[in-house]
Amino acid sequence: MKIYISGLYSGTNPQPGVGIARSLREAFPRATLVGVEYSNRCSGIHWPDFDELWLQRPWEELDLDAYAEDIRAALDGGALWISGVDLEIMWLASVFPEGHKNLLTPPPSALRKISKPAVEAHRGLPLKVPTFIPTDRSDWELHAFCRQHGWKVWLKGPYYEAVRTPTWDSFERVRMLLSRAWSTERLFLQTHVTGYEESVCFAAYRGELAGSVYMRKRELTEEGKTWAGDVTEVPEEFTAPLRRMVKELNWTGGAELEMVRDTGGQLWLLECNPRFPAWIYGSSIAGQNLPALLVESATGVMARRATDGAACEEFTRVVLEVPVRPQFPLPSLPEPFPGGVGHSMKHPSGTLALAERLHKMRVIETDGEVHGDISARGNNGNGNGNGNGHRPAARAANTAPAVPPSFLKDLETYDFDEAETPGWLFLDTTAASLFRRASDIASGLTNSSVKVTNAYSIKTNPDERLVRLAKESGFLAEAISLLEVQKALKVGFKPEQVILNGPGKWWPEGLLPKAPLHAVFSDSIADLRRVVAGFESGELRAKIAGVRLRAHGSRFGIPVDSPEALQKLVAAVELLPRDVAFGVHFHMASSNIGVRQWWHLYESMLRWCRSVETLAGRRIECLDVGGGWFPDDWHVDSADQFASAVASARKMLPGVAEVVSEPGKALAQPSMALAMRLLEFERSKDGEIKEAVVDGSIAELPMHFFQPHRILHRDARTGRFNALARGETQLWGRLCMEHDVVALGVELPKDVARGDVLVFCDAGAYDRSMSYVFGRG
Amino acid sequence: MSLAEGNEIMNELMVVGGADLAGARAAIERWESCPASTITHHGRLCCRVAREWVFAADYAQLNGEHPLTGPRWIRQRYTWGPSRWPISWCEAVERKTLDCGALAAITHEVFAARGVTSYPAQFIQQYSEVSARHWRKKWEGDEVPTNWISDDLIYHEGCAVVTGGDEIKVWDSSAGWWVNPKQFGGYGGLLALRVCGSPPDVSSFKWGEHRVAPNRWQQIETAPVRR
Repeated sequence: MKIYISGLYSGTNPQPGVGIARSLREAFPRATLVGVEYSNRCSGIHWPDFDELWLQRPWEELDLDAYAEDIRAALDGGALWISGVDLEIMWLASVFPEGHKNLLTPPPSALRKISKPAVEAHRGLPLKVPTFIPTDRSDWELHAFCRQHGWKVWLKGPYYEAVRTPTWDSFERVRMLLSRAWSTERLFLQTHVTGYEESVCFAAYRGELAGSVYMRKRELTEEGKTWAGDVTEVPEEFTAPLRRMVKELNWTGGAELEMVRDTGGQLWLLECNPRFPAWIYGSSIAGQNLPALLVESATGVMARRATDGAACEEFTRVVLEVPVRPQFPLPSLPEPFPGGVGHSMKHPSGTLALAERLHKMRVIETDGEVHGDISARGNNGNGNGNGNGHRPAARAANTAPAVPPSFLKDLETYDFDEAETPGWLFLDTTAASLFRRASDIASGLTNSSVKVTNAYSIKTNPDERLVRLAKESGFLAEAISLLEVQKALKVGFKPEQVILNGPGKWWPEGLLPKAPLHAVFSDSIADLRRVVAGFESGELRAKIAGVRLRAHGSRFGIPVDSPEALQKLVAAVELLPRDVAFGVHFHMASSNIGVRQWWHLYESMLRWCRSVETLAGRRIECLDVGGGWFPDDWHVDSADQFASAVASARKMLPGVAEVVSEPGKALAQPSMALAMRLLEFERSKDGEIKEAVVDGSIAELPMHFFQPHRILHRDARTGRFNALARGETQLWGRLCMEHDVVALGVELPKDVARGDVLVFCDAGAYDRSMSYVFGRG
Repeated sequence: MSLAEGNEIMNELMVVGGADLAGARAAIERWESCPASTITHHGRLCCRVAREWVFAADYAQLNGEHPLTGPRWIRQRYTWGPSRWPISWCEAVERKTLDCGALAAITHEVFAARGVTSYPAQFIQQYSEVSARHWRKKWEGDEVPTNWISDDLIYHEGCAVVTGGDEIKVWDSSAGWWVNPKQFGGYGGLLALRVCGSPPDVSSFKWGEHRVAPNRWQQIETAPVRR
């Protein structure tokens, strides 16, 4: 018996070839095991269980047609083939669309049904698939997905690789790297599931389950790969549907279902690999030699059983040195790049090149599906099978973001032929409707026992039009300096409508109003003592005095991170004058930590408030919450959420008579846009624009690194605006700064022209207030 | 006692699997009258602040996750080591080092504050005489009793939390992990378990394949290492 085994990479993220060979050597001592590899850098070629080696050139050099014929000849000659490489399995499925009795890999139809992330085949198994979104959606939607899931998300490649992307800029960076590496934009974002990793590994031949095991990871590498585990029988409630799934897929070969079990016991499917896992010899140690069962099923040759009493259900890995085979001496190390560190051993077999070739051959379609008979597409194994030289085969059709009609209506009021760019555009009706809605929500939540009030944080955007809108909409003004207090007074707020907070609130000296403020919140114990002294001297007067509590992960507010800190806070609160109401204030940007996280933080803060109230013996009468709401998060279902939040506050803190909500950028961000013009671009031979220069810059869009902006192109002839989808063009700002890239990839219209206007929406909050003068002489 | 998150003593030669049935029975007898640890309360602001802080900090640390999530932050904050007893809330939270009894008692209260039904749990575990010698020296150096050590066996504490019906999971507060109900004996093996409490309508708890009667030491049957 001759068995070809591929996938011999044995680095820190190993392939299963060596484990398969070890298992088969025990079961079929006299079988000829042939190791198949595509690089002599893969150390598994030196594993002594291989009787022969079939070393191929890396995938980028291989003549696939000739190689396919060689494999066919080997299979026709009676040899078996077990693959340990996902992409090789996809390619083999296309070469043998009807299968081959000696090819122990799954058919194309089965591969289609296990493609990530939906893994259609999982239905019936007692598990769920974590929520995901393909990255061909607009950046606007992708950002929303990340916020919704608290930025606990993984960006995953179509075949391998998953990277945690906890911020927008990390997402953009990783997306670019993975897309380039795997020659596809068909990536996806998936939510993280906290829990313990488990696997079901099985072997099947032509739809019949030959064997299966359950493995729990007991030690993991830094990359999350198995280092130790325990192997037990698959529970019956899993085996029955697994058997059905195998039958329906007509599965042949090994496979692994990678899962996470959460604290509640729910299993979540991460992926289904169409091959044995690298830890497969651990299963053989436990007495379940799945590669042997697979070969036994395919050939009818009985495997040698492990000696009774020789099995152990727990396994672990060690690092071993083995002699190098004399006929395959170690290759030289590549020269390090000047100033570079280390020598990458990643993908020595040319796996990335194989992915690119498979895309070009349309073995793998842009939808991530695997296709069978490639001969029908005139494959020459080497070229562009789609007959279209313009568009990369793996380029997904990206969608443009939806833009609120009020934006377009407001933009119609501007004369863009005359407008100076870059220039800020105030979206009148958009702003008015947002403030009105906030006001309506607050009114709706106010009742006889609690008053709900909005406050406008002046720092978000001190534009007088917005501050005035806030005044007219019944807001309070929230200031972080005495200059901001003066701004509020200038626009028409009375001192009794101003909240003062922040670490530098007394700056600059001499501008504190004589009349009482609405509230003042202390940012530190020292600040609180100053407030107390101010009240005692009569310099400071306010209806409410309170503290800002420091939220986890923030540097603002009074910390409660130790019992000692809590005790200090409690003692300090007791110093506050009894004739003013006591309040607590906390802010945290929900756009940074995510929506669910923010609401947990809110509940957590109520918990701290109750502790402070109980220990200090001071009733909390005012709660001031908010900060950093992304507009969509604040406006969607916000009325219900805030009603529930007010009810929670009243339940935890019965003395609360006023809740101040600070919607922050939820109101300001959509209220302004930035217009800029295309200065320069050049088309490539195939007509594409890779880079374009605009007269705007990151000086006007400093939030570019933290959030996407919906970008509109104005058709100079019709005056109509169209939202831009993601594409290949980078928009470079006018500044002579390397990082001045205002959009990493947009799809400009084919007839775009110099001087065309682009409008960056969603720029009315910190983009506006933190913009700076640069490069203007 | 387990040293999962620090102070691991790895450079020792040890022989495991030496505890026979008689040894386990003797250990049970030895620690039969040993009550699960509790933390005292001065009845004043000092202990009220400490308790409030622990519960509020736990709620913040839970970060919206499932209430059965093990409160590993406690072990991250406090090193495992000798404690002087009795210990009050205000003393415990200020310590840098807490023993298994203090860690387990705090964790038990934390689970209860989350609304999870929790019972103090007592363990008898096997380590090695070399480990025991090191621990004995460390505890004697701090002038605290070493009666939790007996040859290669130790007395240890954790919590048993009800996950639904009569099923429990056992949390080792000193290690920051859930104890595997499938035990093989050997180094770190759990030989006996006692769940302290009077659960209503439950004559015994289900822990993995085991049935554990409350308030009684129960030897833990080991799974066969070899099949």
